[in-house]
Amino acid sequence: MSEEDRITVEVLVDARELSRLTPKTHPLWWGVAGAVAIEAAVVANLLTSYFYLMAQNEVWPPEGVAPPDLLWATIVLFVLPLSSLTMWWAGVGSDRNRKTQLALGVTASVALATLALGIRALQIDAFDIRWDQHAYGSIVWTITGFHFTHVVSAILGTAVVSVLAWMDYFTSERQLGVVVDTLYWYFVAGVFLPIYLVLYWAPRLL
Amino acid sequence: MSDARPLEGSQRDAAAEFAKLERTWQSPEGFLGWFTHVNHTNIGRRFVVTSGVFFLLSGILALIMRLQLLTPLNDVLDPETYSQVMTVHGTAMMFLFAIPAMEGVGIYLVPLMVGARDMAFPRLNAFGYYVYLIGGVTFFVSLPLGLAPNAGWFNYVPLSGREFAEGYGVDIWTTMITFIEISALTAAVELIVTIFKLRVPGMSLNRMPIFVWTILVMSFMIMFAMPSVIVASAFLMMDRLIETQFFVPEMGGSVLLWQHLFWFFGHPEVYIILVPALGIVTSIVVTFSQRPVFGYTALVLAVVGVGMVSFGLWVHHMYTTGLPLMGRSFFQAASAMISIPAGVQIYCWIATMWGAKIRFATPMLWVLGFFAIFITGGLTGVMVASVPFDRQVHDTYFVVAHFHYVLVGGAVFPLMAGLYYWFPKASGRLMDERLGKWSCVLVFVGFNLAFFPMHQLGLEGMPRRVYTYLPGLGWDWMNQLATLGAFTLAGGFGLTFWNAIRSLRRGEIAGDNPWDAPTLEWATTSPPLNCNFARQAVVRNSEPLWTWKEENRRTVVDGLSTTRRETIVTTLLDARPQSVQILPSPTPWPFFSAVAASICFFGLIFSPWFYVIGVFATFVTFTFWFLPRKREEVV
Amino acid sequence: MITARLACAVSGLSFIAACEGTQNVLAPASPDARLIASLSWWMFALAVLILIVTLGLLLVAVALRRNGEARAISRRRATILVVLGGVVAPICAIVAVTVSGAAIGDETEGGRRIDGATVRVAGERWWWEFSYLAADGEVLAVTANELHLPVGRRSRILLESDNVIHSFWAPNLQGKTDLIPGATNMLFAEPEVSGEWRGQCAEFCGLQHGLMGFLVIGEPPEDFAGWLAAQAEPAAVTSHPGLGVFLSLGCGECHTIRGSTADGEIGPDLTHLASRRTLAAATLPNTRGHLAGWITSTQEIKPGALMPEIVPDPADLQHLLDFLEALE
Ligand code: HEA
Ligand code: HEA
Ligand code: HEC
Ligand code: CUA
Ligand SMILES: [Cu+2]
Repeated sequence: MSEEDRITVEVLVDARELSRLTPKTHPLWWGVAGAVAIEAAVVANLLTSYFYLMAQNEVWPPEGVAPPDLLWATIVLFVLPLSSLTMWWAGVGSDRNRKTQLALGVTASVALATLALGIRALQIDAFDIRWDQHAYGSIVWTITGFHFTHVVSAILGTAVVSVLAWMDYFTSERQLGVVVDTLYWYFVAGVFLPIYLVLYWAPRLL
Repeated sequence: MSDARPLEGSQRDAAAEFAKLERTWQSPEGFLGWFTHVNHTNIGRRFVVTSGVFFLLSGILALIMRLQLLTPLNDVLDPETYSQVMTVHGTAMMFLFAIPAMEGVGIYLVPLMVGARDMAFPRLNAFGYYVYLIGGVTFFVSLPLGLAPNAGWFNYVPLSGREFAEGYGVDIWTTMITFIEISALTAAVELIVTIFKLRVPGMSLNRMPIFVWTILVMSFMIMFAMPSVIVASAFLMMDRLIETQFFVPEMGGSVLLWQHLFWFFGHPEVYIILVPALGIVTSIVVTFSQRPVFGYTALVLAVVGVGMVSFGLWVHHMYTTGLPLMGRSFFQAASAMISIPAGVQIYCWIATMWGAKIRFATPMLWVLGFFAIFITGGLTGVMVASVPFDRQVHDTYFVVAHFHYVLVGGAVFPLMAGLYYWFPKASGRLMDERLGKWSCVLVFVGFNLAFFPMHQLGLEGMPRRVYTYLPGLGWDWMNQLATLGAFTLAGGFGLTFWNAIRSLRRGEIAGDNPWDAPTLEWATTSPPLNCNFARQAVVRNSEPLWTWKEENRRTVVDGLSTTRRETIVTTLLDARPQSVQILPSPTPWPFFSAVAASICFFGLIFSPWFYVIGVFATFVTFTFWFLPRKREEVV
Repeated sequence: MITARLACAVSGLSFIAACEGTQNVLAPASPDARLIASLSWWMFALAVLILIVTLGLLLVAVALRRNGEARAISRRRATILVVLGGVVAPICAIVAVTVSGAAIGDETEGGRRIDGATVRVAGERWWWEFSYLAADGEVLAVTANELHLPVGRRSRILLESDNVIHSFWAPNLQGKTDLIPGATNMLFAEPEVSGEWRGQCAEFCGLQHGLMGFLVIGEPPEDFAGWLAAQAEPAAVTSHPGLGVFLSLGCGECHTIRGSTADGEIGPDLTHLASRRTLAAATLPNTRGHLAGWITSTQEIKPGALMPEIVPDPADLQHLLDFLEALE
C-alpha cells in the first residue's frame, strides 16, 4: 500500500468515448466465426473419411447400388444460396434500421430453407442403400444427416429471430443477434457445395 | 487496493464508486448462487480443482495397477478389472485431468494476464465447466459399477466395436469424449476471442506474455484436432448403436480409419497438453531470473511451429500397422523435426537464466525438475520416431516410459510449478516452501525410480497393457522398483496436496506481487478483485509491472461503467481501443443447458428417445439463455 | 489364490527359468534384430550425450550467479547457443534418424531372398495359429503357439486376423507387425543360430492379451524339414479310449485332431499337441500335470479364455491325458 501510494496514475485511454454497440466488431462475431471453423473442420473430417473409405474399396458405391440421384440435390444446391441472399437482404435492412425488410428477409430465408429441407428429406428417402448395409451407405447417410441437422438448427434459430423481428424486437443495440445468425446461415448454405460435390459427383467421376 | 485510488473527486466518492463496481461484479453467494457463477476466476478455479481431484483419482488407479504388477501372476486385479482400471487411468489422465487443467489455468490466468475483466463469453464458460463436471463424474462412477470402458485410452476398433465390446463401457467412453470435446471447444473459442479482442490497450500481439501465446496456440490446436475425434467417436457410437459399418471390414469399412482419425487428434492432443505447460515454464523462468525472456520471437515461433507440425505426425503411432515404408519415412522425419522448436525453447530458457541471480524458490525447483525429465522423455521420443527402433519398442513399456516422462515431466511438473507460483495470487497466501521442496524432491526421485526401469523393461520384451506377466523373464525386480517408485511419487504429490490445503488457511499472506513478477495478473490484489482490475491497464511493453516500478507510475483506462459489467475491446494486432463489451451477469441457464445436454447424450446410450427429449430440452434452455432480459445484456 | 496356483505351477519350470533374454531386443539372433539393436545402442549413446550437454549447460547457467552479481551472457553468445542447441543439433538428429531409419527399414522389412518357410499366422483370442504354406499356397501343416523356422534362411510370415487386432512380436528376431482384420501384413524372420525364443502379442486384444505368447524355435534346415513333415501327418493315434472321452466331452467341437472326427476350429489344432513345449499360448509347460490343470481349471489360469472348464470324472481324465500325451 504505502509504496504504491507514491505511484502516479496516468489515464491514457478514456473508455467513455468508445462505442458500446458494435455488432460487426463484437467479440461474439469472432465466437461464431470460431464455431463455424470447428464445424468446417468436422465436415473436412467427414469428407476425408469418405475418400478414405472409397480408397479402401475397389467398387464404390458397392455392386448394384446407384449413386444418389442428382436432380433434387442440384435444386437444393441453388435454393440454399438463394436463402442466403434473402438473409443478406434482411441484414441490410437491419443495418439501415428497416424493420420490415429485416422481418421479411429472415422469414423468406426460413421458408426457402424449409423447402430445401423438404426436398432433402424426400431425397434421403430415395437413397439406394441403407446406412447399415455397407460402409458406403453409412458415410453417405452420416454426411447427409449431419448437414440436415445443421439446416434444421439454423432454421430453428432463424425462426426465433424472425418471430422476434415481427415483434419489432431488434433495436439497433440488439442487431448483434441478426449479424451472428446470418454468419452461421452463410456457413450452413455454403458448406453444402463441397458436400454436394463429394456425395453426388465423386462416385460418378472418380 | 492500490489501483482503486482516486483519480478525481474526493477520496470518499472514489471509494463509493469502487464499492459499486465490486458489487456489480460480485458472484452470488450460497449453494444456489454457486450454480449461477460466471466470473472467469470462479470457473477457472473450479476447472483446476476438479481436474486436481481427477488427477488424484486416476493416480490412485495407477497405484492399484502398480500393485497388481508388483509380482508376476499377482491377483490384486482380475483381467477385466485391470483393463477397466488401465483404460480409466489413461483416459482420465488425458481427458479429465491434463487438458482441463491446462484450460483451467488458461481460463483463470488469461483474462488477468491480458488485463481484461472477464472472458469474452462468461456464460459459455460456465456451461463448459458443467459439461466437463457431469461427463467426468459419470465416467468415474462407471468404474465402481463395473461398467467402465476396457479397450484402452485409444479404444481401437474392432476391440471396441459392437462385436467384441459388449455392455455399456465403450458407449460411456464415446459419450464422455463428446462431453470433454464440447467443453474443450467452448473453452478454446472463448480463450481465442478473449486473447484476440479483450487485451488491454497497448498489448499488441508481440507484447503478450508467452503464456498467453501458448494458450492461444493450444486453443487453435483444440479447434482443429478435436473435430476428428468427434467424427471418430460418432462413427463408433453409430456402429455400436445403429449398426453402421464404418469399421467393419467385411462390409466395406476399415479398421485403420479409426486409427487415422484418432491419432490425427491424439497426437496434437499431447502437444495441447505440453504447449501451455511451456508457457508456465516461461513465466516462472522469467520471474525467477528477473529478466525478460531471451528470444521472445524465437519462442513464439517455436510454439506456433510445434502447433503446426504436430498435425503432420499422427502416423508415428501407426508404424506397425503395415503402411508403406516410404510414407512412414516421411512421418519419421516430421516427428524428429519437433526437436527443433523443442530445442529452441530449451536453449532460450537456458540463455535467459544464464548468469542470472536466480531465486531457488519451490516453483523454480519444479521447473528444474521439468528440464531434466522432459528432455529425457523428449529424447526417447526422438528415438521412437525412428521406424525400425519403434517396430521393436512400440506397445512396450519403453513407450510407457517415454510418455510418462513427457507427460509428467512436461505437464505435471510445470503444473506443480504453476501451482506454487500462482497459488498466492488465487488464494492470497503463499504455500509452505519447506514442504514444497520436500515434495519436489520426493516426486523427482520417485518418478525416476518408477519410470526409468520401464525403458529397460520394454527392451527386455515386456508389452504394455498386460494384466500380469510370467516369472522368469527377468522383469520382476524392475517391476518392483517401479511400484516402489510409484508410491514414493504418490507420497510426494501427497505432500503438495496437504501443503495446498493447509496453506489456504495458514499460509503466509502473500501481497499483490510476492515474486516481483512482470505480468499483469500481479497488478491486482491477491486474490483478484471481483472485477479483476479497478482500472484496466494500458501497457507499453511485455513487462509492464517492471516498467511501472521503474517509472514509478501506472498507466490505466478510465471511464468504464461501475454499474454494469464492462470490459474494453481492442483491435486484433496492435490492441488499439475499439469499443466496450458489456458482459452478462450471473445466471443459472448454462447449468440447466448442461443438464439437458447430458440427458440427451447419456440417454442416447439407452434409448434414442432420450435423444429427442434431450435435444428439445436443450433447445428450450438455450432459448432462455440467449433471450436477454435486460436491454443491455446482448450476449 | 487363483493365480497363486498358477504361480507355483509355473515356478518350477526350467523352460521359463531359462527364458531370461529370450524375449529381448538387445539379444539379437537375426541380422535384422542385430541391425536394430546396434541402432538402439547408437541412439542411447547420443541421447545420453545430448542429455548431459544440455543439463550441464543448464547447471552452468544457473550456477554462474555464485560468482557474485548477475552476469548475463551477451546477446551474440546467447544466439549462438540457441542456434547450435536448438537448430544445428536437432537438424543433425533429424538427418540421422531419417537416413538410418529408412536404410534399416529397407533392410529389415525387405524380402531380398525368401528361401525359408512361408507361414500364415492367424491371431486368435488369445493364441496363435501357424499354417505352413507350400509355394502354391496350399496348407502343408497347421499348428499352434509354436513357430519353427529354419536357421540361416529368410522365412516369410503372413499376418492375418479375423477378430481383433493383434501384433506379432518376437524381439530377438524382428520388430513387430500388426495383424489387422481385413488386411494381410507381412514380415520376415531369419534366425542365425539354433535356439528357442519367446514372443508375445503386443497389441492390446482383450482380457488375455497378457498371456498371449508363443515360442519360436530355430533349427537347422534338415531338422526343420523333418519337423514339418511330421506335423503334416495326421495324428499318431486315432483309436484310443481317450479319443472317445475327448469326443464325448465335446472337445472336438472346438479342436481339430486330423485323422479323427474332431474338426472344431475355435481352439488350437491338437493333432501334434504332445510335440509342443508349452500349453495355452506359451503360458504353461506341456506336462501331464499342467495339461490336467489346464483342462479342469482353464478359467483360473486364463480367466476369460474362450475354452470352458471341463471336469471329467477321474478315470476319464486319465484316459484323456493318456491320449493327449500320445499325440506326438
Ligand atoms: C506431453 C506429451 C508428449 C510429448 C511432449 C511428446 C513428445 C514427443 N513424442 Fe511422444 N507420446 C506421448 C506424449 C508426448 N510425446 C504419448 C502420450 C504417447 C503414447 C500414446 C499411446 O500409445 O498411448 C507418445 C508416443 C510417441 C510415439 C509413438 C510410440 C509408439 O507408440 O510406438 C512417438 C513416435 O514417434 C513419439 C514421438 C515423440 C517425439 C519425437 C516428441 C518430441 O516432441 C520431443 C521433442 C523434445 C526433445 C527432443 C527434447 C528437447 C530438445 C533438446 C534438448 C535439443 C536437442 C535435441 C536433439 C538434438 C534431438 N511419441
Ligand atoms: C497426464 C497423464 C498421465 C499421468 C500424470 C500418469 C501418471 C502415472 N501413471 Fe500413467 N498412463 C497414462 C497417462 C498418465 N499417467 C496413459 C495415457 C496411459 C496409457 C493407458 C492405456 O494404455 O490405455 C498410462 C498408463 C500407465 C501404465 C501402464 C499400464 C499398462 O500398460 O498396463 C502405468 C503402469 O505403471 C502407469 C502408471 C502411472 C503412475 C504410477 C503415475 C503416477 O505419476 C501417478 C501419481 C499420482 C498420484 C498417485 C495421485 C496423487 C497422489 C496423492 C494425492 C497422494 C496421496 C495418495 C495416495 C498415497 C494413494 N500409467
Ligand atoms: C468352446 C471351445 C472349446 C472347447 C469345448 C474345448 N476347448 Fe480347448 N481350447 C479352446 C481355446 C479357445 C483354446 C485356446 C485358449 C488360449 O490359449 O487362450 C484352447 C486350448 C486348449 C489346449 C492348449 C493348446 C495349446 O496348443 O496351447 C488344450 C490342450 C485344450 N484346449 C484341450 C481341450 C480339451 C481336452 C477339451 C475337452 C475336454 C477342450 N480343449 C475343449 C477352446 C475349446
Ligand atoms: Cu493378441 Cu494382444
Ligand atoms: Cu505422437
